[in-house]
Amino acid sequence: MEELLIAYSNLNDFISQLMGEYNVIGPVRKENKFAFEPLESPSDIVIDYQTTILPPSKWIYLNNEALLEFNLHDIKKTKAIVNSKRQVILFAHPCDINGINVMDQILGEAPADLNYLKRRKETVIIGYECLKPCGEKNLCFDKDYHKAAGGFDLLFTDIGKSFYVHVATQVGKEIVSYSSFFKKVSYNDRNDLFNVRIEGAKEFKRVLSGNVDMLSHHLKDSYDDMIWDVMGKKCVSCGACNIVCPTCYCFDVVDEVNMDMDTGCRHRRWDACQLNDFSKVASGENFRRTAAERVRHRVFKKEVYLKKRFGRSGCVGCGRCIYSCIAKISILDIFNQVMVG
Amino acid sequence: MSDFLPKTAAITKLKTLTDKEKLFTITLDNGDSLDHKPGQFVMVSLSGVGEAPISISSSPLRGNNSFDLCVRFVGNLTNKMHKLSVNDRIGIRGPYGNGFPLDRIYGKDIIFIAGGLGIAPLRSLIQHVLKKREEYGRVTILYGAKRPQDILFSEEVYTWVEDDSIEMHITVDVADSSWNRHVGVLPHLFKFTSIDPLNSVAVIVGPPVMYRFVIMEALTNGIFESNIFMSLERRMRCGLGKCGHCQINGVYVCQDGPVFSYKNAKKLKEAL
Repeated sequence: MEELLIAYSNLNDFISQLMGEYNVIGPVRKENKFAFEPLESPSDIVIDYQTTILPPSKWIYLNNEALLEFNLHDIKKTKAIVNSKRQVILFAHPCDINGINVMDQILGEAPADLNYLKRRKETVIIGYECLKPCGEKNLCFDKDYHKAAGGFDLLFTDIGKSFYVHVATQVGKEIVSYSSFFKKVSYNDRNDLFNVRIEGAKEFKRVLSGNVDMLSHHLKDSYDDMIWDVMGKKCVSCGACNIVCPTCYCFDVVDEVNMDMDTGCRHRRWDACQLNDFSKVASGENFRRTAAERVRHRVFKKEVYLKKRFGRSGCVGCGRCIYSCIAKISILDIFNQVMVG
Repeated sequence: MSDFLPKTAAITKLKTLTDKEKLFTITLDNGDSLDHKPGQFVMVSLSGVGEAPISISSSPLRGNNSFDLCVRFVGNLTNKMHKLSVNDRIGIRGPYGNGFPLDRIYGKDIIFIAGGLGIAPLRSLIQHVLKKREEYGRVTILYGAKRPQDILFSEEVYTWVEDDSIEMHITVDVADSSWNRHVGVLPHLFKFTSIDPLNSVAVIVGPPVMYRFVIMEALTNGIFESNIFMSLERRMRCGLGKCGHCQINGVYVCQDGPVFSYKNAKKLKEAL
């Protein structure tokens, strides 16, 4: 990878340059929380943010994504829609970069999802290396998802006064070469990177008991455990955990007719396996009738099924589901319970 | 090309089967055959309403490039279909799913077990087997319906009763005065047939509640777990292994099913 440097003082100008070419989506303050939003000005961003409300993957896997345009009176006028716009996701944390990578694998599996893949291709990912955890309950460190080995175009690391920039892809290379703010790194800069990483590593603490590689195995053994009933009793099936998760992608397909009563659109809408009706069929049968079964399914899908199918866990350890749960259910507590049981 | 874009098709024939089921014969507009396998399903699309998964109810060997869908009116899309007529156009996506394992049943004695609407997807395989009757051993069909008026494809079913190359038993849960055949639940039909476990496969389709009892009978009669095939239903939204609605534990019904051997299905704790 090519390695370059950009001074703090040049960052805003660089972002302005990007905004001239792309829709730039970056971390901004939202009252006392943070969110990824399209930037109106470079100074909107908060570089040193904690986990955002929604992950940046939601800007690639959109809600209410149009799939088809149709005409109610002429079936031949049905047209597929595969739309996207060039965009930059600026300063995604490694956990979220890893989340996007997992989504790439899932939605790239044949038959691949064209809508996601087209937008993904037109999305530039500029990552921001974490030198401290975002919160106490994040399990990114245990899952080794606090680092991103790839899946980004550029990765910025704060080494004090400047950012050390790793250039991973051709797209990343084109961006930095069109900008005059980047210069080659020196021996001292490399030293500074090494040092901030050493210091940064000390900040992260393990929160998971036992060996994370055994987690899937322990979960499988706990399929009939009481823990699911306990969690099920607490759960109110609101679906918040699904909505905030970087690797949740289940969807419903909905037709909407326009006011002209002639044309309309079929679009997909984020769905949530925690909702009561998710597994209901027209005859009234519900294949996951209880909250306990639904909670168990979500945890198994992230840690067991996705791992089996794609070789990696779908839970990136970002902690969003823990912070959003109205019933205070924590996937970290569930993991720790099955690991010791 | 987006996998969400349906092929356009027309309803070329329409037959009322019962008070809540109709048989639609569909032909694709471009004249192509659907090229499906027995046991697969399609996503039927109605613009402005949505889509629903419907099993294909006819054999691909039938010829004339049309296929049948037996539809029970029970939800938004199926109720809208009820109001359609011959020559109306619909959208079709598919065929999806793995279909029945023809290589596993080739040359064997086949016991078809149909519970209620389960006869609809099984009909695609029954027609397929009867078209090449000499390639199979004994053919036994056990069919259970709620009442005599709920029997689907009744004309065709009674030709199977009359067919000497088929052993057919029908039962209803509740009879009326015109009914002179078996009365009682489907599993008890096993009493009226004999099974050679070493050469038999069972193909079972019906409502979730029926599977346990029928599979128990099949196992009691010695049929191997890997020779019992069942079709599981879910409410797919995409048919492409993406929307998550058809997921049963770690498998997608639309990709890894809907047909599963009992040997594999019994590992899926959420299956029934």
